[in-house]
Amino acid sequence: MANEASVPLPHVQGPLSGYRVLDLADEKGQLCARLLGELGADVIKVEAREGDPTRHNGPFFRGDEGPDTSIYWWAMNAGKRSVTCELRLEPGRELFRELVLKSDILIETARPGHMASLGLGYESLAALNPGLIMLSITNFGQSGPYRDLEATDIVASALGGHMYLNGDMEKGPVRTTAPQAYAQVNAQAGVGAMIALYARGVNDGRGQYVDVSMQEAMANAMDNTQQTWDIRGINPIRPGIRRNNAGQYGARYLFEASDGWLTALQVGGLIGPGADRIIDWLAESGEARGLDSPAWRAKLTSLQPLSDSDRDYVEETLNAFCKTRKKDDLVREAQARAAGWAPVLSPHEIVENGHLADREFWIRVQHEDLGESFIYPGAPFRLEATPWQQRGRAPHVGEHNHDVYGGLLGKDDAELRRLRARMVI
Amino acid sequence: MSEPDEMQWKKPFEGLRVADFAWVGVGPTVSKYLADQGAEVIRIESSTYPEALRRVPPFVNDQPGLDNSGYYANFNSSKLGMTVNLKHPRGPELVKRLIRECDVVTESFTPGTMARFGLDYASLSEGRDDLVMISMPLYGQTGRWSSYMGYGHVLQAAAGYNHLTGWADEPPIGTGIAYTDFLVPHFAAIALIAALDHRRRTGQGQFIDFGQMEAAVHGLGTAILDWTANGHEQTRMGNRDPEAAPHGCYRCKDGRYIVLACFTEKQWDGFKAALGRPDWCDLERMRRRWQRLNEQKEIDRHIQAWIEDVTLDPAHPEPDDPDDSPDTPKVERLTTEQLMMHFQKFGVPCGIVNSPEAMRSDPQIAHRQHYWMLEHPTMGLRSYDGPAFRLSGTPSELTKAAPLLGGDNEYVYRELVGLSEEEFVELLADGAFE
Repeated sequence: MANEASVPLPHVQGPLSGYRVLDLADEKGQLCARLLGELGADVIKVEAREGDPTRHNGPFFRGDEGPDTSIYWWAMNAGKRSVTCELRLEPGRELFRELVLKSDILIETARPGHMASLGLGYESLAALNPGLIMLSITNFGQSGPYRDLEATDIVASALGGHMYLNGDMEKGPVRTTAPQAYAQVNAQAGVGAMIALYARGVNDGRGQYVDVSMQEAMANAMDNTQQTWDIRGINPIRPGIRRNNAGQYGARYLFEASDGWLTALQVGGLIGPGADRIIDWLAESGEARGLDSPAWRAKLTSLQPLSDSDRDYVEETLNAFCKTRKKDDLVREAQARAAGWAPVLSPHEIVENGHLADREFWIRVQHEDLGESFIYPGAPFRLEATPWQQRGRAPHVGEHNHDVYGGLLGKDDAELRRLRARMVI
Repeated sequence: MSEPDEMQWKKPFEGLRVADFAWVGVGPTVSKYLADQGAEVIRIESSTYPEALRRVPPFVNDQPGLDNSGYYANFNSSKLGMTVNLKHPRGPELVKRLIRECDVVTESFTPGTMARFGLDYASLSEGRDDLVMISMPLYGQTGRWSSYMGYGHVLQAAAGYNHLTGWADEPPIGTGIAYTDFLVPHFAAIALIAALDHRRRTGQGQFIDFGQMEAAVHGLGTAILDWTANGHEQTRMGNRDPEAAPHGCYRCKDGRYIVLACFTEKQWDGFKAALGRPDWCDLERMRRRWQRLNEQKEIDRHIQAWIEDVTLDPAHPEPDDPDDSPDTPKVERLTTEQLMMHFQKFGVPCGIVNSPEAMRSDPQIAHRQHYWMLEHPTMGLRSYDGPAFRLSGTPSELTKAAPLLGGDNEYVYRELVGLSEEEFVELLADGAFE
């Protein structure tokens, strides 16, 4: 193939340069593997011969569904190598074991017991490679009453407790449209992988098994509501445009500007110790509606809850003030007055955001196969000595078979032809 | 897999000492990962300017108190607590002496704050090249917003989560929590441990500039690329999903909610069977997923009606219908739990929306022993979140409850900073530890 070896870009300076990761993961582990790659690890995506099923996850480039046009695939698998390997056939499993021998971390997301049924459970693989770290990321973990249950993002968000906190009392709970159970379990599994990797270094090269639960990852995204239940026996409300305050409606934190929405926190907003700064601002603009009187100031800066009618009056005042101004102008002025406001940004506003531009956050990734390049998110963390690096576009199905099976495993062309003929790769 | 190893394992971060200036949610979550794996993490706080979370509820017995917040406690298991007044003439020097005995410094103040006290990376790494330091403010060390204030509750807005959470054509309500505080620390921990592993192998430390907003952008799934490659702006769509139908959240008779999703035709077939194949499921326009995506309003209405019908509220059992003849078969009604298992039996991804209360009795969470019960000197026995992962050789271990404010001052100042007893008492009396 003409494009072979155009990805991934080399990354010898990365802190994980020299480590190898085998990625058998679905939505629960692909981002985790990608992050390890961007820190320098050689990540090999192992796909079935027909290609990984997530290649058919939408959205698609220009709406055209196909194995190489999934935006999902691009986002989660950028910078990896891809090999095909038929794990349903014994010669495929044999080939996979050879890869395991050359690897440090294996990330898989199959149903509990499935890998063992293929003879690829942790015990068997660790017998071959005692240094192997095996991450099994599943819906609910490797054992327990829900072990075999089905879950997608919304199910883990629900059973993990996180979704209970979001939405409003009338319409019920709501999920974040960008899947957060997947984002959370990937990121938290990454921490588990890094701990195991470090542990290996101080334990004579011994690897271990890491059992990760998506439900638990969401349980870790419940803010202080679990402690509020533990200590006070109170469940939260779903607060809509307000905040939840131990089961009561707290201050409103979302306001509408002339060109969108912004968040003005209780702290730094019109209620609380910092209220004077905002009251001054309203007064200077002639829009305080009397809130600059000493009595109102005393009321607003104290930490005593306001009566419903007082609160409505204050919020109406702030909302009217915001309605006639642009959100970026409001946020800039609020921050100049030491109030921690922020605009509600959409994806395209994030891409056009001046602060991220100042930081030179965005990266242009070449898709030479399409003759185009696209903007991708840049460094999620900036390590000064061993920098993060984007590694190029996502691979085509089996794009690196020759590279990996030839280069890494030393198979000659005749052997590769044989594996192809036997439908192993 | 989980049976005890014959080999003795060393806790990975045993022997590492962390000077932890980070506060609120993000930084303490990062250092908690290290503390629960053997590092000696010292929370460096001040009683003059107490850590914000010590002042935030829930408080035991509703009594506000710096050693009484469950919010603070949950982020700070397995750590030590010390206090210092950096505005005391000797404060910065004492801290520098402590950092000389540390391997890692974590902080999340507005950029420039550490430098004001001579505690920036350049100063701290003078004469040594093995110090690892991570700074984790909202917006990073540079750029026009670097001095901006805020918390996770507003960062979720700037990072796109409000825009993507809520009902279509309604306000961008976001999650009900300080969401990014519970997402970005995991990214920071990955970076920090990667830097530590590099240091373990090479002896080289480094500075990590972590901007919470930038990590948060990586949690947006396909939203960014869908814009940059397709020019398509994703937006909030309630409980729908652009790829699945049905996909939603439905109210059961007992007032609880249940979610279900059908991404594949197999799941749809299972769903139809679970409902007993009502006629509407077999309409031509329901045949394929891409067709069903256009029929979600109707699908949701059918599902909601069916669930209302089949579920029961054990607290308010319905009286028998007097018109029923004794021969009419009784409709078998399901509890919300039974409904979830009913769908699961047919292979449909389905789950109850668990409240915090329900999480404590969820059989799987109980089986996994997710919550750790730890005894705190003033708060008593309280629940703490454990990690989502179980390591077979070196499991994370929450070794003790959160530290008292300055609870370990004597150990830190005497043993690590190396103060004599006289100096310690003198500085104590002079307010240096406040």
